[in-house]
Amino acid sequence: MVNANKADDLSLIKRFKASDASAFDEIILKYQDRIYNVCRYMLGNAQDAEDAAQDTFIKAYRNLRNFRPDSSLYTWLYRIAVNTCLDYKKRPFFASIYRGARGDDEVMNELPSDDPSPERIYESKQTCHVLRMSLKQLSEKFRTVLILKEIEGLSYEEIAEVLDISIGIVKSRISRAREELKQQLKKFMEQK
Amino acid sequence: MRCKKAKELISPYIDGELSEGERESFESHMKDCGNCRSEFEETRNVHNLFAGAERFSATYGFSTRVLANLETKTRRNGLFVPLFARFAGVVAVLMIIGIGIVSGRFIGRSFSFQKPGNIAAFFSLDTFNATPPDSVGGVYLAMTEVNNDK
Repeated sequence: MVNANKADDLSLIKRFKASDASAFDEIILKYQDRIYNVCRYMLGNAQDAEDAAQDTFIKAYRNLRNFRPDSSLYTWLYRIAVNTCLDYKKRPFFASIYRGARGDDEVMNELPSDDPSPERIYESKQTCHVLRMSLKQLSEKFRTVLILKEIEGLSYEEIAEVLDISIGIVKSRISRAREELKQQLKKFMEQK
Repeated sequence: MRCKKAKELISPYIDGELSEGERESFESHMKDCGNCRSEFEETRNVHNLFAGAERFSATYGFSTRVLANLETKTRRNGLFVPLFARFAGVVAVLMIIGIGIVSGRFIGRSFSFQKPGNIAAFFSLDTFNATPPDSVGGVYLAMTEVNNDK
């Protein structure tokens, strides 16, 4: 499955380098949800996530000719997305859910659910709310590894490639991030 | 396996990142150690919370907007334009204004301007001497005046 995906990506890159205009369109369609999702979690609101995701693909377009086939396309895209989001956060007027500029209402309203039961929907929203509130208390490096692992499902090796750190550091950060998240969750539940 | 080592392996075990041998040692320790098992279950519960976390999708028309932005930015800027180059026009205008101000001050100091009220008189035709004394015209005038006196 992984090898088939990598072969598919290499074929798209080859077509792009041969000036096939539709190749990049296919790359966007293939990865737009994943990139948007990671931007959404890192930045906390839809507008900034949209802008960051757009910038990610624009940067990818400009640099795709120099892409080395020894790494995978999607970890390369994730790396651009993570760095773009971190740059956004350095901007002086960055307003995100993490500074309380927008409440969690935006997220609560968008929560998808297939379960028609109102109680289950409410519980699910509460869980997401608690999780998001606790996540935002973590340091940037812990929050980033948890988003890549728990939300995006990347392996330790892939996370190491995205963040340009060793697998040992990935293991350590994930363990410490979960420990810290546990403490934040306990604090949050005690306050209620 | 000691507890310290087992606790380090909790997250990699949950994430399926242990080798066969490590997994067997870890599971064996979990059976025997209630303390480590409790910590393992707490961490697993945290991990399981994310199963219910929302997954967002890119909004409708996202790829179209990316391609449109690519075209706009390529048309406007060509290839990537460095930040300073975008403000080059403004900088050039400011430099011209600055040079103008400095030149004006320099020129002003070079001429000994009289009071503003005398500027009109300074440039008036009455003070304009078309025949200075040491010019050909001035000598001629002087000679004619002498002849007139005679």
